Amino acid sequence: MNELLYIIIIPVIIGSALFLIPGKFNILKGILAIFTSILCLVYSVLIFTGKQFAFTPYTALDRLNSEFLRSINFDLIKYSAFNIDSLNQLILLFVAIFAFLILLYSIVYISKEKKINNYYEYFLLTLGCSFGAVASDNLLLFLIFWGILGLTLYKLIKAHNDESSAAAKKTLIIVGASDGIMILGIAILWKITGTLNMSDINVDTNNALTILAFFTLLIGAFTKAGAFPFHSWIPDYTKNAPASSSAFLPASLDKLLGIYFLARICNNLFVLNDWLRVVILSLGVITIITAVLMALVQHDYKKLLGFHAVSQVGYMVVGFGLGTMLGIAAGLFHMVNHALYKSGLLLSAGCVEHRTGKNNIEEVGGLSKVMPITFIAALVFALSISGIPPLNGFASKWMIYQGIIDFGAGSGIANNLWIVWLALAVLGSALTLASFIKFIGGIFLGRKKEEFKAIKEVSVLMWLPLVILALFCVGFGVFASGYIVPKLFYPIAGNFSFVGIWQSEMVSLLILVSIILGLIIYFIGNIKNYRTADSFVGGGEKMIEKGNYNAVEFYKTISDFKLLNDIYKKAEEKWFDIYDLTKRFVLWCSHSFSNAHNGILSNYTIWIFAGLIIMLLIMI
Amino acid sequence: MAEQLFYFLIYPGLLFAAVIGALLSWYDRKVTAWVQFRKGPPVLQPFYDFFKLLLVKETILPKHGSKGVFLSAPIFAVFGAAIAGVFILLPLLGIETGFKGDIIVIFYLLTIPSLTYIIGALASGNPLAAIGGSREMKLILSYELTFLLVLAGIIQKAGMTISFSEIISIQSLNGAFAGSISGVILFIVFVFCIQAKLALVPFDAPEAETEIADGIMIEYSGTPYAMIKLAKYIMFFILPAFLIGLLWKGLNFEGINILWSILKILFVVLLLTLIRNTNPRVKIKQAIRYFLVWMNLLAIIAIVLSYFGL
Repeated sequence: MNELLYIIIIPVIIGSALFLIPGKFNILKGILAIFTSILCLVYSVLIFTGKQFAFTPYTALDRLNSEFLRSINFDLIKYSAFNIDSLNQLILLFVAIFAFLILLYSIVYISKEKKINNYYEYFLLTLGCSFGAVASDNLLLFLIFWGILGLTLYKLIKAHNDESSAAAKKTLIIVGASDGIMILGIAILWKITGTLNMSDINVDTNNALTILAFFTLLIGAFTKAGAFPFHSWIPDYTKNAPASSSAFLPASLDKLLGIYFLARICNNLFVLNDWLRVVILSLGVITIITAVLMALVQHDYKKLLGFHAVSQVGYMVVGFGLGTMLGIAAGLFHMVNHALYKSGLLLSAGCVEHRTGKNNIEEVGGLSKVMPITFIAALVFALSISGIPPLNGFASKWMIYQGIIDFGAGSGIANNLWIVWLALAVLGSALTLASFIKFIGGIFLGRKKEEFKAIKEVSVLMWLPLVILALFCVGFGVFASGYIVPKLFYPIAGNFSFVGIWQSEMVSLLILVSIILGLIIYFIGNIKNYRTADSFVGGGEKMIEKGNYNAVEFYKTISDFKLLNDIYKKAEEKWFDIYDLTKRFVLWCSHSFSNAHNGILSNYTIWIFAGLIIMLLIMI
Repeated sequence: MAEQLFYFLIYPGLLFAAVIGALLSWYDRKVTAWVQFRKGPPVLQPFYDFFKLLLVKETILPKHGSKGVFLSAPIFAVFGAAIAGVFILLPLLGIETGFKGDIIVIFYLLTIPSLTYIIGALASGNPLAAIGGSREMKLILSYELTFLLVLAGIIQKAGMTISFSEIISIQSLNGAFAGSISGVILFIVFVFCIQAKLALVPFDAPEAETEIADGIMIEYSGTPYAMIKLAKYIMFFILPAFLIGLLWKGLNFEGINILWSILKILFVVLLLTLIRNTNPRVKIKQAIRYFLVWMNLLAIIAIVLSYFGL
């Protein structure tokens, strides 16, 4: 049981100790961080395979729980309750896996970027606090870890480029504000139930107060995971932060944490009523569609991935909004899958950026031949996220669709609208495919630019995490219905039965058969006497040089539609960004107050007296 | 395992579906010829085409493209078509054993061929192919939602089951779904979805021979093109078969019913052929609007009607 204590404390201590090592020895810091993450991985595996338990670190805390604390009537033990059930066993394991893989990648990637300070320190602090947040049962303890995570998030964006400071500030403000709102929700919960331990709370959402508490906590989960309308920090983050940090935080860790908390509030803390389901499901599908529409028109490939990191959250939210066993398992499965392919995509984007130094899709192209491993890994991730069978993204989306259809058989307002949820979820998946065709086509396929002739594949430490993640994606897809889902998600959600049938192992085997068959057809076919020729576009030699079809123009027809065009324009003016809206409102307020400051003394005197009179009136 | 391989490769998968599909494509060409007052090709013409491409014609590979991706795309196209074919045809031909897939799985598998065409086109490095690829993707975007709405309507009619064989058996008990008003509307919408899925006129903007010289297929020749032909033959059979299974009671092979089953398929293909012969090509933007507004509207009307039991 002490593993739980170690897994939280060791990264925090080593992370703090690394501050003492000067920045010159960045490699040394990286290696130390990797060893720490391996240690955490071992502990998390022990916790995962071990028993489930509620845990309060008595022996360690008894010494701390000194006379002084007792004299001020503060019982430390009461506030340090940990609880390990099958849900956070799973989350702990995946946090550790991602931390290890991304640190491996960072060794090469970060040392090149001279401007980043204290990367590994904050990385390890984040790791330790995430373990703490996931394992803690007491809401206050949870909140403390959660708050520190907001701060380290801020420190991991900064000082990469000029815009990153603005992005970091935005992230800090949005995440910080949501944490503040969560405190309110926790206070209400404490008022209603009189306890702060999550395992003891189970409230019906039948009056205004509980619904308010639910929404305040929902805002916390949504902001962390990045669901509409609290998503706007994620695209800016992925655009400006180093790719490894985006892969670690918004892509994998924050999803795991945010969705973990969403699972807690939807399943354990509250009992949802029908209207709340409608609200959550609507927010889910709105997240899917709006974010993916924004992703479709992005030019910056890291920002494109950021919008997808938002869009995919919608599927998980839909899964939890359904509230059925199938829906919950599907949401969790999608969370794991999303973290796998999205961190992989961001890491491969990091590889491309690392080698080319370009950020825009139109500036790169045709890299598949010079970076074959990155390309194949990125293709696997892209097909996974688009839900192409038999990869993992398909498996979890298929479960979500089944969950929706299963849910539609029930009676209730949310149930009767099942076709809306299903149609929008599937449309989102098609739009995801479209924008990843642009991503893959624009970066890796097409004609290679002259300036990229000399580019080489990234070093082994950078592609190895990609390959591992890609294998995870394939494995989780191929063995989804037979092994992964029963093994990982039955303990959490309960033994549900699938509505549909999908024999992923058999189909994957048939893919191998068809590849062999295809090779045989090529072999017996007349392919041996092939020749290569430049592509023909008509109009002679010169057309070819000019006629490069830009991937950026891919979906221009779609954005040309009037309605969408207006929406895109509004989005560019940041009308859908809650941060900018708030900023505008605050500026407008301060502007209107500043009108009162006109520098005329008599006016000021009147204000002072008026204020005085009002205060007196209230006091009397 | 050997049984599954047989289902996949020979009957009713790859070989069977491809042969029937090739025959249907001959039928399509013959009807087209009649419409245009020509004589039309002999029955075996599709097979001649296929084997000529496979064995005789020279293969030209794009110089500036990614050849590996370019060559592997057709393999996956054939796989996608064949596996979707197995999942559709096994319940339709009444084979109970073997492996199954629900209609959501079939829905996803049916997009694989189009997707591989796009990836292959982009890998060729040809700008015209890229234009075709972008159009094909936009076409997928526009019909995918409609196609799903049709499936959702059918799921609703069938009492929330997504198993293809159950949908067929429910119809053989209670009569075909196409017998109701909502069923007829769904049938019409489905036919247009097939038209777009097969990229036939009026939705052939991705290929558009006269404009962008066969677009997504422009760089394909010889053996890889033969594989694409194979995938197209399979798709040409399984999509009408899927429609018949979902809305028109499926197929039956007892006694005189064989004739009816064959006529059903010929009728659906005839519809596709006549639509493609009597319409001009629409621009991609028009196609998007056509599906996004009108076809979706029809599908939603059908769903609402079927909700009230019509």
